[in-house]
Amino acid sequence: MQASRMIFKQREPWFKIREELNAHRAGLLTGLSFFLPLAIWCLVSYAPFIWHPDVRLDVSADRTDVATVYTAGDHVSKEFFATFQKAVRDENAQILQDRQSGNATADIMVRRDNQKKLRQLASLAISNGWLRWNQREDDAAIYKIWKEIATGALTPKTPPLSPENFDIVRQNWQMLSADSADFDARKLPDQPILSLIPQGKPSNPSYLPAPGDVLLTGWHNFTSEAELGQLSMMERLLISIRIVWGGFLLSCLVGVPIGVLAGTYSLFSKLLEPFIDFFRYMPAPAFSTLLVAIFSAHDEPKIALVFIGTFFQMVLVISKTTRQLDHSLLESAQTLGAKPRQLFAHVVIPGILPDLYNDLRILLGWSWTWLVIAELIGVKTGLTEFIETQGRWRNFDAVFPVIIMIGLIGFFTDQFLAWFRGILFPYTRKPRSKSKRSNQRQELAKPAQTPTPRTTVKELTPT
Amino acid sequence: MTQIDLPDYRLQSADVAARFRRLKSRPVVLEARNLGKTFASSHDEVVALEDINFAVHRREFLCVIGPSGCGKSTLIRILAGLETPTEGEVLIDRKLVTGPGPERGMVFQGYTLFPWLTVKGNVMFGLKMAGRASIHAEPEARQWIEMVGLSRFENAYPHQLSGGMKQRVAIARALANQPRVLLMDEPFGALDAQTRCQMQSYLLQIWRNVDVTIVFITHDLDEAIYLADRILVLKPHPGRLDELIEVSVPRPRSSEQLISPEFLATRKRLEDLIHPPGQSAGDKLPTLRLTRAGDDVE
Repeated sequence: MQASRMIFKQREPWFKIREELNAHRAGLLTGLSFFLPLAIWCLVSYAPFIWHPDVRLDVSADRTDVATVYTAGDHVSKEFFATFQKAVRDENAQILQDRQSGNATADIMVRRDNQKKLRQLASLAISNGWLRWNQREDDAAIYKIWKEIATGALTPKTPPLSPENFDIVRQNWQMLSADSADFDARKLPDQPILSLIPQGKPSNPSYLPAPGDVLLTGWHNFTSEAELGQLSMMERLLISIRIVWGGFLLSCLVGVPIGVLAGTYSLFSKLLEPFIDFFRYMPAPAFSTLLVAIFSAHDEPKIALVFIGTFFQMVLVISKTTRQLDHSLLESAQTLGAKPRQLFAHVVIPGILPDLYNDLRILLGWSWTWLVIAELIGVKTGLTEFIETQGRWRNFDAVFPVIIMIGLIGFFTDQFLAWFRGILFPYTRKPRSKSKRSNQRQELAKPAQTPTPRTTVKELTPT
Repeated sequence: MTQIDLPDYRLQSADVAARFRRLKSRPVVLEARNLGKTFASSHDEVVALEDINFAVHRREFLCVIGPSGCGKSTLIRILAGLETPTEGEVLIDRKLVTGPGPERGMVFQGYTLFPWLTVKGNVMFGLKMAGRASIHAEPEARQWIEMVGLSRFENAYPHQLSGGMKQRVAIARALANQPRVLLMDEPFGALDAQTRCQMQSYLLQIWRNVDVTIVFITHDLDEAIYLADRILVLKPHPGRLDELIEVSVPRPRSSEQLISPEFLATRKRLEDLIHPPGQSAGDKLPTLRLTRAGDDVE
């Protein structure tokens, strides 16, 4: 017996049609389902050889011949980056040539330009932690950094300075230090200094920010104090939640009774459902201007839009759920003496509650999908206003955390509600031993490979 | 195979004959008069039942049997008031039945316990519907639960019970209303053979202790003979009354009687009625496969 069991004990297969995996494997796969997309995102973002069609500028420069200004942090295509670098190098070559030939014209404008060129180092200094963001135009501090880099007191690491640019820094410092050791706008050279050559790292387009950037920007936006006149992220979130839940609860208030009545009584079903079935095909956003006209531009038209988007589906879904109540329960209640009104209160309602609860869970998710459209109508508000504005500035590393947060709120609300369902309706919890028992049954069945003789009493009784 | 000479199935011992005399002297509880049911759809009509007449006496155990499609379920649904007959009438205690009511309890084949109520809640359901306060209903429900032997499970939910336990609760739930008639529509059909045996003896025990008349539908011949005083045999297309057999097997019944002459005689008669000779099931069985392994089994 022991031996035969050993033979039949084999590794459980991963692929079994309509069979549960064991808890260990199920947990592993659940983890993977979140880990894999994250891993792919990380891989695409951080492995430079995979995609990276753009260059993210660390050091930028103004060009005299082009009006467009790129600053550090901007994304440019690789092709453009090459021409950009070449143009600046050409400019520098021209400056050197002019300087040697003595053609350089001393001009008051040159001093202003030089001051601008000094600031080309600011973004690098900020990301190396030597300057604060609000010091980006503090020329005295920047001047000191030029000096310290040129003398080797400071070495930029994040990002490092290219050797080419390091050379330029030293050359420029030679000119600068000849006039003044400290910043003085009037003592800047009156001949043009060299521009820094644009410098950057290969990167993905701005619409696919790296996970790290998203995390940092998100953390910054969610924890920092709002700028003057702006709402903090939590205030925005509360506004958005109010709109979603306002629309959803209103819809429940009207939709649940109508749905249950329509599912119970043919009268209501025939009276209401055809029209509702027709109405739900009209896209809710099509009513946005109408809603603004009716409710004027506050939260009301937004809540009304969520309502319209949810209500009609709700009635149909709930009436269907109600109709699916096992008819034999109604019949057995009748044979137990339940009158029609008692049937409704004591069988229909408690009978559909668990399914109704699940419907509402799904419909709440449905309401969330209307959020962004609802917040766009009239005056933009809440999270959507933030997404819209930041998106327009192509700050997708700020947009992603908000979108992800909406997803997480939805996900965890749903998980909570699913758990809470087990508390509210303990009789819907699946018996835990079910999968185990089927496994046991298999194990018992396995050793019995040879057919055992079977006789039933019936076959033995003479007829 | 040896052929045993069976007595006439109608032959009754003195005891059994006396029992039937006593039974028939008791008042009629449930009566079907000229019952007929026709299901009409847009293009044709199906006659499910035609001209059914019978009377069930107080505390009688009546089984209804017949091949599939003979209208057994339609009949019991009409008795319960869940269907209206297209012809004839059903009387309970000489009063016309117009719809379902608590004086006719019913146990269905499928499990129809209310999943949101505990065993106790289910058994109390009828009492609550009748407007009884929980304080009075609860001890009464407990009594019925005890009768079906489920006191330990009174706070369990139906999904935690096995099939046999569920049907025991269903029986307790129907009996808690103290109905005049208990209608049972193949209540043990979904149970395995062993559990079914157990349930049958449970049911007989309950029937002995409770003043209730039982109409029991089944397609299992042994079950019908084991349980019934009289067996109502229906024949199909359309469903008509074929024969009303008085079971000559003495009471109390036990599983040893399954091979008693009376039992076998009644069984033979039922088989002849339901599978008329000439088209017995054995003749029609197709030979699916011939195996060498089968050579030495007999």
